Amino acid sequence: MEIVQNNKGIEIIRYIFIMLLFICGATGVGYFFRHLGFSETNIVIVYLLSILLIARFTSGFVYGIIATLIATFAFNYFFTEPFFTLSVNDPAYLITFIIMAITALITSALTSKVKQNALEAKEKEAEASALYMLTNRLTDAIDIPNIAAIATSTISGIMCCRAACLCFDENGQPERVFIQQQDNEKQVRREVDHIEDMRHRIDSLRTAYDISAEFYDWPIYGREAILGILRIPKETAVKMNEAHMRLLRSMIESTALAMDRFRSAQERIKSKEEIVQERYRGNLLRAISHDLRTPLSGIMGTSEMLMDMIKKDDERYTLAKGIHHDADWLHSLVENILSLTRLQDSKLMIDKQMEAVEEVIGVAVNHIMQRSPEHEISINIPEELLFVPMDAKLIEQMLINLLDNAIKHTLPENEITVAVSEDKKEMQAIFSVADRGSGIADADLSHIFQMFYTTHGKEADAQRGVGLGLAICEAIVKAHGGTIEAHNRTDGVGAEFIFTLPMEARYDAKQE
Amino acid sequence: MQSRSDNILIVEDDAQIRNFICYALKQEGFPYMTTGTAQGALSLLVSEKIDLMLLDLGLPDFDGMEVIKKVREWSEMPIIVVSARDQDREKAAALDNGADDYLTKPFSATELMARIRVALRHLYNIGSHHGQTSISVNELRIDFEKRLVYLQDAEVHMTPMEYDLLALFFKNIGKVLTTSYILKEIYGIGYGTDTQALRTLMAGLRRKIEKYPARPRYLLTEIRVGYRLADE
Repeated sequence: MEIVQNNKGIEIIRYIFIMLLFICGATGVGYFFRHLGFSETNIVIVYLLSILLIARFTSGFVYGIIATLIATFAFNYFFTEPFFTLSVNDPAYLITFIIMAITALITSALTSKVKQNALEAKEKEAEASALYMLTNRLTDAIDIPNIAAIATSTISGIMCCRAACLCFDENGQPERVFIQQQDNEKQVRREVDHIEDMRHRIDSLRTAYDISAEFYDWPIYGREAILGILRIPKETAVKMNEAHMRLLRSMIESTALAMDRFRSAQERIKSKEEIVQERYRGNLLRAISHDLRTPLSGIMGTSEMLMDMIKKDDERYTLAKGIHHDADWLHSLVENILSLTRLQDSKLMIDKQMEAVEEVIGVAVNHIMQRSPEHEISINIPEELLFVPMDAKLIEQMLINLLDNAIKHTLPENEITVAVSEDKKEMQAIFSVADRGSGIADADLSHIFQMFYTTHGKEADAQRGVGLGLAICEAIVKAHGGTIEAHNRTDGVGAEFIFTLPMEARYDAKQE
Repeated sequence: MQSRSDNILIVEDDAQIRNFICYALKQEGFPYMTTGTAQGALSLLVSEKIDLMLLDLGLPDFDGMEVIKKVREWSEMPIIVVSARDQDREKAAALDNGADDYLTKPFSATELMARIRVALRHLYNIGSHHGQTSISVNELRIDFEKRLVYLQDAEVHMTPMEYDLLALFFKNIGKVLTTSYILKEIYGIGYGTDTQALRTLMAGLRRKIEKYPARPRYLLTEIRVGYRLADE
């Protein structure tokens, strides 16, 4: 389908010529009939035939209507008495004229309608084959610039113009250079003049296309973002009719689909690579942590034996104790790293089962009490046994981290409380670990769950271990579909950590 | 330094850990032997008189689990498993295969000694408890003949199920009983999957005998493995 570029005037003259030719022909045949002595009815039929042919060979109703009028008058002028005047002697001819005119009108209207339909069908077919050609070529595309090049050349061919295409990158920013079709074979690369300006215009676009100095710009919309802009030269664009617009929109959509498909395939590959890398890193960390445990056991046990050998007032005892303390700290770091790698293995390693809350809390508190027997930890649990789906090992570690944190900031004579309650309305269990320590500085509150964040302004050694411990708590809670928050207590000094766990497994990680 | 007669076999491939365990045992006066391989352990078990074995599950030649199975073919000696692995399934499997107790690395020497003492006492108690009608742990006492339980000499009312469970623990003082073992003993074969029912039963029992059920003194939880009745 080509854009009509011929001069419209020539066409009109051609149609008028066709019209006059047929009417003259009909008149000639009419004279011939009269010469043979045929009745006037035959002449009327010849005129009707000529009108049918005119409607067939011209476009639109206009020529048919004009031809009807001319034919009626010609019949009147040449074949009714008195000849060569527009007056009639026999009034019965008036009926003939009217019926002839009506018949001619209907015939010409029907014929043009049939022609119109045929034309539309042809257009649709051309549209379909154009689209087919485009999608067919697009399936062979190897990357986004390739898709743009194919779309540009195909659309240029179909629309008979020098179309152009500008791609947007993965961050939704237009590239500096766009390609334009030069002739049938060649494409050139051109720089965009005012890229910021263009970006702004496309972003604020409310209509289907944007008009710039040289081009009409159609944005290529992907599923999530603009993928590019298809540019049709102005002189072509202004001449496009509804059908052309429709075809262009369809072709842009096909291009968008191809680009989208390519992008998502690319993203899939990328995320797959990332997962592999992440898993590799996790495995490495886990292997290291595992191998660290054995020598740590040796160091901790040996230093413990040394402490056992030396009297407590000996300074060597303090040195051995230092070794043991540091090894113990390293051990808790190793445990935390192991948990973290388990969590980062995307829920796969989380083993949720229905656990009795009091048992998990009991074990965690017991663990802490063995390490810090001078502290008193009170437990506040509901009388009724509470079952919550959780990975007991991870929740135990989390409670140990929170209690450890509380002990670091609380003097032995001040109380530390672990409490659990059931929120029946929200279907969740609420855990709280509260202390009567120095509380959390306001500056730290918002960062406290960040990895490797340590509080400012205090001696570094006392804060060691906080950095990873709370970040892991957050990761564990999130993996369970719960929430965690930290705040200072309102009923006096101290900090409180509150976390929730859903009572029903909202998603079962094991099924993945 | 008192002297003991129980010969302890240490099966551990890490020299440093072996050293400190040896030292700790020497301090307590235990005679001991060491080996770093499963093969070595099996030959020593055949040739020497061994009373208790400390077994690392991750041995260089083959899995420590195989050693447990082989030993259990002919001997009831206490086996304490030491493992760097924290997989609960392996712990439970080791216990179900016949190990008496387990320790996860890193562990303290104090804890190790406590476990060894419990295992040995358990070994000797098998004989002495036999036919004994009453055993007590701290302030808790069970009377097998009358099927009664006393806390500070006051009788505690128990349902038959609770009594059976507690009696099972008293017959295995200090030993970790796996969930599947308890279920089999209490509910019988074929009902051994309802861990939630067992936990509910445990919670009920704790509320009757523990001062603070969430911080049990007697019935301790081993997460994802089972329970034990603590005796010290």
